[in-house]
Amino acid sequence: MECVVQGIIETQHVEALEILLLGLCGVHRVRLRVHELCLKSGPNLAGKTVISAALVPKHQRSDFYVILSSLSPLGNKNSPFFFLCTHIALFAFYHSYRNCIPLYRTVRHVGGSMRGAGADQISVLVRTMVESKVSKNVLRLFYLLGYKLDHELLRVGFAFHFQRSAQITVTVSSVNKMLKLHATDEAVPVTPGIQLVEVTAPASAENYNEVAAAVSSFCEYLAPLLHLSKPGVSTGVVPTAAAAAASLMSYGGTTIM
Amino acid sequence: MYIRVLHWQPNAGHTVSSQILAEVSQCVESINGVKEGKWKATLSFYRPVLKEQANAAEFPRDFLGISLPEQPSKYYFVLRGQRLVLEADSTIQTIMEKLQSYKTRVALNFEGFQYQLGDFQLRVGKVVSIQSESLRGIVMEMEYRPISSWEKSHKIMGEFFDIWQEALSKRSLPGHFVHMEPNFGEFGLSGQYTLQHTAVQYATIMLQMIATAQSVRN
Repeated sequence: MECVVQGIIETQHVEALEILLLGLCGVHRVRLRVHELCLKSGPNLAGKTVISAALVPKHQRSDFYVILSSLSPLGNKNSPFFFLCTHIALFAFYHSYRNCIPLYRTVRHVGGSMRGAGADQISVLVRTMVESKVSKNVLRLFYLLGYKLDHELLRVGFAFHFQRSAQITVTVSSVNKMLKLHATDEAVPVTPGIQLVEVTAPASAENYNEVAAAVSSFCEYLAPLLHLSKPGVSTGVVPTAAAAAASLMSYGGTTIM
Repeated sequence: MYIRVLHWQPNAGHTVSSQILAEVSQCVESINGVKEGKWKATLSFYRPVLKEQANAAEFPRDFLGISLPEQPSKYYFVLRGQRLVLEADSTIQTIMEKLQSYKTRVALNFEGFQYQLGDFQLRVGKVVSIQSESLRGIVMEMEYRPISSWEKSHKIMGEFFDIWQEALSKRSLPGHFVHMEPNFGEFGLSGQYTLQHTAVQYATIMLQMIATAQSVRN
C-alpha cells in the first residue's frame, strides 16, 4: 500500500519549491527522467480495470529510468495529470542519462484506492501498490501475452526522499508527450508552464493512518506554494505562490541586495 | 554455478514410481553423496482468461512460471514457443493475480533432497501435481559449483554424468535419466550460467514429460 497526494505548481516557482524542499528534507535532490509506456490488455483478454490515479515515480538509485505502465486513456479531461488506471506499470532503470543501458526494470501494479467512511476522513489517498523488479525483456513478454501499447509519457524533474515519521518521497516533474513512438528526444509538455508535484509514502494495512498523518503534516509546510490533495481532486495553483516563492528565493540567497 | 536438469525417461511399457525414486536416492548415497536437506521448486502453467475462446490461438500456449529454491526471492517466466525467459521479483506472482488476465492451469511441485558430492550438488525429487499429489515424474538437478561458464563446465559435467549413469545402470532400473540441452542462445542467454538457464531447462523437460505421459496414455 501507499499514501499519495498530488498538486500542481507553475514552473516559474519550481526553483523556490526546490529550495523549500531542500531545507525541509535535509537531503539532496535526485534527478528524475521517466519514460512511461502505458499498456492495456488486448480486446480479447480479460482483466479487471481498477480506478486509480496517476502513477508516481518512486525513489531509485539511478538518476534516469523508464516507466512502462498500463494506464487506460486519460480519465479526467480537465486535468492531464489524472488517469483512469488499469492495474499495471512497468519500469526500467538506466545507468545514466547518456548511455541508456538498462540495469533492470520494474513492474508496478497500482490498485484501487481505499473507499468508505474511513477513507473519506483522511486527506490522502490510500491505495494498494505492488512492485517487482524484472529483466529487460519485460515489454516483449507483455506484448506476447496480449497487452497493447496505450500511450506513453516522459516525466522530467527531480525527487526528494527522506524519513519523517514515514519514508516520504516528493517528486516534482513536467509531464511530456511523444509526437513519435518512443521519441523521447522530441517530447513536448502536456501542460506548458505547469508541473506536477506528488508526495507518496509506503504504508501497510496496520500503519496507514500514521503514514497518512505524516504525509498530511509534511504537506502543510508546502501550503504557501502549493496545495496537495487526493489524486483526482484538483485544486489548482495557490494564490499565495508568487509571494511565497519570492520570499523563499530571497532567503535562498539568490536575491542580490 | 552450472546446472544440468535431467528427467527420468521410463522404458517402453513402464511408468515412474516411488520405488524408482527411492532407488535413485540410494544410488546417490552409494557414490558418497551426503544428504544436505530438502529441496523444492514449483512450476505453473498459465492459461489466458479470454472473452471469447474462439480466439485462443492468438495467445501463447506454453506460458510457464517457475520458482527455484536457489533464489526464492525470484520468479521466472518462460514463453517456450517464443523463446523468451524473464527473471522477476517473486512479487510478480501477486501482480499476475491482480491482472486477472492469466490463471494457473496446472501447478507442479518438484520436491526431494539435496546431496553434496565434492564440487557437485545433486538434487533428486519427485514431480507431483499440487492438486492431486500423484507422481508425474522424477527430476534431477546436477550442479557444478566452481565455474559458471557454460562451455567450460560442459565437459566436466559430461564426465560426471557418465559416472552417474554407470553407477545407476548397475541397478537395472526400467528407464534412464535424459538431458535435453536447450539452445540457450535462442533465449538470448549468454554463456555465463544463470538461473534463467535453469528455468529454460525446466520448461524444456516439461515438454518431454508431457510427451512421455501422452505416449503412455495412448
